[in-house]
Amino acid sequence: MTAATAKRLSLALSTLVGLLVAAAFLAPILWTILSSFRGGSEAFQVPLPPWPTQGVSVDSYLRLDAAGEGILRHSANSGFVAGMTVVLSVIVSLFAGYGFSRFRFPMRNVLFVLIMATLMIPFQSILTPLFILLAKLGLQNTLIGLVLVYTTLQLPFSIFMMRNAFDAVPKEIEEAARMEGVTTFQMLFRVLLPLVMPGVATVAIFAFLNAWNEFLAALIFLSDPDKLTLPVLIAQVRAGRFGSVDWGAVQAGVTAMMIPCLIVFLALQRFYIRGLTAGAVK
Amino acid sequence: MTRSNTYSKIVARLMTCAGAMALLAGPASAETMTLWSRSGQGETIPALVKAFNESHEDQVQVVQVPFQEMVQKYATALAGGEAPDAVALDLIYTPSFAASGQLEPLTDWAKSLSYFDSLSKAHLSVATYQGDIYGMPFTTETSVMAWNKDLFEKAGLDPEKGPTNYAEWRDMAKRVDALGDDIDGFYFSGNCAGCTIFSFTPMIWASNGRILSDDGSKATLDTPQMHDAVDLFRNMIADGSIAASARTDNGTNFLSIQNGRIGMQVVGAATIGVLTTQHPDLNFGVAPIPGKDGGSSTFVGGDNFVITKGSDHVDLAKTFLEFAYSPEGQTLMAKYGSLPARSDISAKIMADQDSRLQVAAATVPTGHTPYSVVFNDIINSANSPWIQMLSAAIYGDDPDAAIAEGERQMQETIDFGS
Amino acid sequence: MSNIVTQPVTVGKAMPCGGHKRKRKRKSQLVGFLFVVPALLLVGLFFLTPVAMTAWMSLHRWPLLGQPRFIGLDNYWRMLSDTGFWDAMGFTVLYTVVVTIAIFAVAFPLAIFVEKPRPLQNVFRTIYFLPVVVGFAAASLLWVWLLNVDNGLFSPLMERLGLTNGRVNLLGSFDLAFASIITMVVWKVAGFTMIILMTGLQSIPEDITEAARIDGVSALKRFRFLTLPLMRRTVGLALILCISGSMLAFDQFYIMVSGGPQNQTLTAVYWIFNQSFVSFRLGYGSALSIVLLAILVAISVVQLWIIRDPKEDAR
Repeated sequence: MTAATAKRLSLALSTLVGLLVAAAFLAPILWTILSSFRGGSEAFQVPLPPWPTQGVSVDSYLRLDAAGEGILRHSANSGFVAGMTVVLSVIVSLFAGYGFSRFRFPMRNVLFVLIMATLMIPFQSILTPLFILLAKLGLQNTLIGLVLVYTTLQLPFSIFMMRNAFDAVPKEIEEAARMEGVTTFQMLFRVLLPLVMPGVATVAIFAFLNAWNEFLAALIFLSDPDKLTLPVLIAQVRAGRFGSVDWGAVQAGVTAMMIPCLIVFLALQRFYIRGLTAGAVK
Repeated sequence: MTRSNTYSKIVARLMTCAGAMALLAGPASAETMTLWSRSGQGETIPALVKAFNESHEDQVQVVQVPFQEMVQKYATALAGGEAPDAVALDLIYTPSFAASGQLEPLTDWAKSLSYFDSLSKAHLSVATYQGDIYGMPFTTETSVMAWNKDLFEKAGLDPEKGPTNYAEWRDMAKRVDALGDDIDGFYFSGNCAGCTIFSFTPMIWASNGRILSDDGSKATLDTPQMHDAVDLFRNMIADGSIAASARTDNGTNFLSIQNGRIGMQVVGAATIGVLTTQHPDLNFGVAPIPGKDGGSSTFVGGDNFVITKGSDHVDLAKTFLEFAYSPEGQTLMAKYGSLPARSDISAKIMADQDSRLQVAAATVPTGHTPYSVVFNDIINSANSPWIQMLSAAIYGDDPDAAIAEGERQMQETIDFGS
Repeated sequence: MSNIVTQPVTVGKAMPCGGHKRKRKRKSQLVGFLFVVPALLLVGLFFLTPVAMTAWMSLHRWPLLGQPRFIGLDNYWRMLSDTGFWDAMGFTVLYTVVVTIAIFAVAFPLAIFVEKPRPLQNVFRTIYFLPVVVGFAAASLLWVWLLNVDNGLFSPLMERLGLTNGRVNLLGSFDLAFASIITMVVWKVAGFTMIILMTGLQSIPEDITEAARIDGVSALKRFRFLTLPLMRRTVGLALILCISGSMLAFDQFYIMVSGGPQNQTLTAVYWIFNQSFVSFRLGYGSALSIVLLAILVAISVVQLWIIRDPKEDAR
């Protein structure tokens, strides 16, 4: 066997293993999406096979749309909240990551740990004080208030990520740029930003996902029916008497909520393409 | 209330007025009241509100809150001074909220209603705190035995008759179960506290037992009636008549009967409306929940209507309630599955309804609602002594020990809370 | 972490004159601090303030409804004899250890697998990441359905394939329920950890590993002595996220098994939730939260210390 054949064989083998793992990851979601199109009593049968055998039904989606102000309105709310959270998280963490990575100032490590501590409290237990606080600021029952809370919750991850990203950029690049006389802001946006794009993409993706999917804070902080976000709507539709679950609504809700997340992920994943950083570093 | 809140309320009202004027050309004096109601309760409240809004200048805006988070959301809103004007509150929570001093007392107005004496006693008993009334009967429901008539017929049983005692119950479950591998005789949500207090305790009441003393100060789980009821379930499990998933169902499949493969299940009156409208092909009958040797009882559930203390729309809330209590309102609510809160006109209103709803309405006088200020703690929470006891007694090896231990733990929590 | 590769060159070092240096340094400090200020404002307002309020509440008998009463440290003393809380804490630690190992065991190979250019690379990445986009509550619900013994997927499937004799209730016993939940969480979270680790792998300059390969260093050794140390920060981030996330686990246990069977899967946050919103003892729940916060911060400080860059300290 030649080396080339061995290489091809190992590639084929690893691809096969990758496909099997992919199948395992994909199966629950595939089952869900297919099952969301089952209607009537079929929805309660064992999902083998998962696809509808008695005719495709979009009843589950219609139930979602019939609740509240309609699925579009609530998607728009969620989209606004998630979009704003992405913008704010990226800006704040880009600055903070740069600050923590490239500058030394008193209490730097203490402040960093302080920000990381945001991760470490059960959100449930600060919910009541947070609500009182937002009410005092006049931000309760506003989408902006929700954006600020989500951004704060997103900061520890985002700042850690951006700090790592800046740390990975060799200082020679900055030195060279400084020789050419660029200002601090030019340095950040013109020189460094393109080099930390994988970090920015990661921050943006997870800010979007978490803000898009968050349920509890949205439920507690928002009261106007026309302001509710999508997860709250879905929670309303799926819940029956004593916690009985409308499985069709869950399946349809998960499917509907997944699509924008996938679009964001696919749109941003090109920033992971290897060589962007490596090329610049060389 | 802080100033900014007042401002935002004024602004909100101005905007509502502007909207109302634009749409309806109504006068600027029209008020809007906010009402929260828990999800999963069917269309009763939205339908009632819609009818009210169409016939009144003042408006009610209803907001659905996922029922699991209702208490948390309302309590948080109260703490932040941003609570809604009124809430349709699961009646079992009224003792806790009434005791907190955050609700508007309604005693004088309530007693001035000409039909006060015929309003649901179960609702009022849990809404009364130190002699004052803090909540009014709103939606009403009872637990009843439902069975699948088609499956009964296939099993050679009389499709028009449900079980009237434990022996029949066991036998019917067994015969339906024998119809096939994917068919089960009986179903219950075995790991769901709220479901079992609603569906299981009526068996004990029907056999003249109690799980709590009337004032809620004493747990009385370890009774012959409890052992008998547990034995029935253990026997049905031994027969293989209960679906395997019942053991771990924490409520997610509470409406299993709608799948058409369950012989019998205890359901709520509100469910009857859901089943008839959403599953018209399901052919089912309804009867009161029997005791060991006959008799029957039910859990009287539903919502109490409570008004937040300091609300600007107390009078509107009262007007809305009087509309709900009117024959028109009561009829409308009955149509969507809530039984009449007024016993004086109940029979008349129910005469035109689905016969199965009539069965459910007739059980109200035989029913109970346990009173406890720590109801959530000892019974309704997923980790309560009640559900731990029941699950261990029905599925464990030593039911006697489980029941005794359950009673001990429940009493401990009651004593700790007082 | 790039310091290992490149010489650490600080702004200060480049300046020859002492007095100038100090001035320049102070200005640089100020600029650095200003960059961090927006983050500090948000954290101060929406995290520290509510936490301070929670700490204040923890010194009260604070019913969810009704009037609070100051009781000093009583809530903290009571905690010492609250066996339920410490049992929940013990279970939470067990869960955290098991699930963290499980997640890394899956995510690390995946990260290495999808990082290298290969056919279908983007397809693999997307599919492994897919479960991450489902919210935790929704994912838990989906799995309750899939795990249902009567109308779910796994039990009937295993029965039909002849793997089990009859249907097994996968949530019926502690062991099976625990394993089911771990599987669900790994499925849900592995893609997240994979992406984090992938960004770490990508920041390692290719020429280093390439050079080692040419020198004949085995793949395992390259991973252990080159890749892993170079990814120290990234692995640290993934670990901190994984551990603090697991220590705060609630949704999956609440939705999937309600803390069952027999209250054996009650986590610390579940206990706090019950105290605060089931028993309405908000003050006591606050005290428990503060203690949990302290424990988690301590764990994280240790982790940050372990993954610290030795070179950075020497600087």
